[in-house]
Amino acid sequence: MSALPEIDTAPVIEMSGISKRFDATQALDDVSLTLYPGETHALLGENGAGKSTLIKVMTGIHSPDSGVIRVSGEEARFKGSGDAQRAGIAAIYQEPAIFPDLNVAENVFMSHQDRGVLVNWRRMYKDAEAILARIDVRMDVRMLASDLTVAAQQAVEIAKALSLDVRVLIMDEPTAALSAHEASELFKQIRRLTDAGVAVLFISHRLDEVFEIANRVTVLRDGRLISSRPRDEATQAQAIRDMVGREMSDFFARNPQPLGDVVLRVDGLGREGVFSDVAFELHEGEVLGFAGLVGAGRTDVGLSLFGIARPDTGVVELRGKSLSAASPRQALRAGIAYLSEDRRRFGLSLPQSLTANITLATLRNYVTRLRLLDRSSERTVAARFREKLNIRTPSLETPVEQLSGGNQQKTMLAKWLNTQPSVLILDEPTRGIDVGAKAEVHQIIDELAASGMAIILISSDLPEVLAMSDRVLVMREGQQMGLFERGEASEEAVITAAMGAQ
Amino acid sequence: MSGLLSLRPERLRELSLFAVMAVAVFIFSLLIDNYIGGSFFNRVTTSVAITAVLAAGQTLVILTRNIDLSVGSIVGVTAYVTGEYLHNHPDLAPVLAVGYAVAIGAGLGLLNGVLVAYAKVPAIIVTLGTLAIYRTWLINHSDSRTITSDGLPDWVVELPNSTIVSFGDFDIRTVVAGSIALIVVLQLMLGGLKWGRWVYAVGSNPDAARQAALPVRRVILGVFVASGALAGLAGFLFLSRFGTITVNAGNGLELQSVAAAVVGGVNIFGGAGTLVGAFLGAVLINLLDQSLLRVPGLSEFWRDAVLGTLIITAVAVDFLLGKRLGRLSTSARGRRATGVPPPGQGASSDA
Repeated sequence: MSALPEIDTAPVIEMSGISKRFDATQALDDVSLTLYPGETHALLGENGAGKSTLIKVMTGIHSPDSGVIRVSGEEARFKGSGDAQRAGIAAIYQEPAIFPDLNVAENVFMSHQDRGVLVNWRRMYKDAEAILARIDVRMDVRMLASDLTVAAQQAVEIAKALSLDVRVLIMDEPTAALSAHEASELFKQIRRLTDAGVAVLFISHRLDEVFEIANRVTVLRDGRLISSRPRDEATQAQAIRDMVGREMSDFFARNPQPLGDVVLRVDGLGREGVFSDVAFELHEGEVLGFAGLVGAGRTDVGLSLFGIARPDTGVVELRGKSLSAASPRQALRAGIAYLSEDRRRFGLSLPQSLTANITLATLRNYVTRLRLLDRSSERTVAARFREKLNIRTPSLETPVEQLSGGNQQKTMLAKWLNTQPSVLILDEPTRGIDVGAKAEVHQIIDELAASGMAIILISSDLPEVLAMSDRVLVMREGQQMGLFERGEASEEAVITAAMGAQ
Repeated sequence: MSGLLSLRPERLRELSLFAVMAVAVFIFSLLIDNYIGGSFFNRVTTSVAITAVLAAGQTLVILTRNIDLSVGSIVGVTAYVTGEYLHNHPDLAPVLAVGYAVAIGAGLGLLNGVLVAYAKVPAIIVTLGTLAIYRTWLINHSDSRTITSDGLPDWVVELPNSTIVSFGDFDIRTVVAGSIALIVVLQLMLGGLKWGRWVYAVGSNPDAARQAALPVRRVILGVFVASGALAGLAGFLFLSRFGTITVNAGNGLELQSVAAAVVGGVNIFGGAGTLVGAFLGAVLINLLDQSLLRVPGLSEFWRDAVLGTLIITAVAVDFLLGKRLGRLSTSARGRRATGVPPPGQGASSDA
């Protein structure tokens, strides 16, 4: 790894005393942040701490109520994101903002409108390759962006920023949708950027990453700057304390319980071209972790068990009886529930209320003799889950789109728990939610397992899988690479299996 | 002000429609002599009855993220075919006559629904196609004959004028009261039945609905059948109101029904809106339509343009104000939630 960058150079951007208020919420309160060329600056905070607002102020989307922004020492007033872009400030978000029907090179040069009327394709492809080479990425620049993985799309976004001579690059949870391997590739790209003098503001909920990549760690809480320390003087425990304002262990410690009877037995399960030969037994009270890179086929196994994508081969037995779920309805009836990794797309009905979402999959239980819905018993159930899962919401009738990510996640969990499954498949249950909510979800998983539920935990967050699971099944490119007992599932062993190295 | 903001967006939309109507009535009363009168009221309400029934069906379809452009043609077909049948069977019981129109409409809606829900053809394409197909069939079938009121049973011809109660010159017509009652019943079903909740769930997130094991295809099929059946009923009302049915009957009613729904606050992307809103939208449209007819020196061709402008304005206003209003009402709601619990919260809530 390279040495710390020189930070006695002049700052590229200096924000001092930034405040911003929305209605009753003080989103930012006297926040100051300075970025130097070549540094990677991590910004931490729970959801709602003010990170997004700060980014929006930096990129000209919001103008601050008070405070000063200086770019290279000169005071800047951004009237829109165009101004910020011209000042060399760009942002990359968790979901890449690419044009799926255009190819890589067209995406890289999308913002260059000064290249004349005719497109010189050959030159554009060459230039795109050259820019990608600057971050050590080789790909076919004629490929459609929609055919790229999320990781490759992000590389295209970085290349796009480079083509605009960016000086400050903001990355908002860029690794949330990446596997560990892809994330480490991204870090290499980030290092190439910082070596070239770009300042990177890096936002992530994964502390390991933050401490791997950042030179400085800054924590926001409730719109205020709580701490800003050089990496060498910061610790993960300290950062968590600063974020939540209280002591909290990084991961919930499971209470290992003796396992019960076999609930689910899977043997030789496969789907043509997606995964094959998956075999495991799942016991009452067990948490079986599914580890692997994104795209290794873990989600596809979950979808097959839930009846969304039918397997071609293999046996699935639920409590000794053969099960072939051809639809989510059959799976639910058999007692299998599946919490999707994509809560906005598959998990929640965003404009509908908390109550309507929690009862959606079990609506037939709330029909009175007159065939009308029994609103009050719906609300009773929703209120119970609100208390049990600590869902923070203004009311039971609040549309879920108005809740924070962590509370949306708990609402989705409540919907599936309400089906009273005997097997619960959790696909990335803590993706993109803050540290506090994550700890709560871990505690809920532990309690469910203790009550005898059999749980499959699919997660790309390796420390989470290792901490939460009784056993860990590792997949790679559709193949089951191993099934580790709790004692043998070390980080090295799982990564080695997941990446196929020896 | 905060009292207004604490209302749900649907209620706010409904109140603002009343305000727009009041302003329109005021302006027209300056432009037109003897603007407000019994006969005008009766004309507007009778035409509202047809639009409102169509708009109710259209709303159900739009709530599921689809659209039904064939309703105008379904009105034409059912009005014509039912008229023809009554010519030949003048003694048919009224209930059966109405049932005949509704059943034909439902059948045509079923075809739309099957193509959308099971053949997975986008609704805008399916119903644009059947809009043309149903109309072409009618042209062929009619052989350029026209249905006239002479051959219709008396009860059909007299239905539009039958009145439940009158206040001076202002009549509450049977068809108007009937269509209001129908919409109230449908609204209660939409808000109170499992099926109603499914309609909203399918429209606001079809993928999540599928994963929650909802019968998504059946729900979509159902709203198209309902829209067809309601268009069939509207076809019957059309027949009784005009008596004379040509092959062009009902042309352009799809535009009116979509306009009534979106002006009434039904989200064109599905998942949000009420039948009551669509009804108020229908009232506004017909009020403007009938008023513009009477403005001296204004060509009647302006009426369609006004309708088009209304649709665009309604959707544009939704986009421009929607976020702002939503945020304001959210913060108002948030404040309330921390204080005293509001009375009756939930009673008027989502469905």
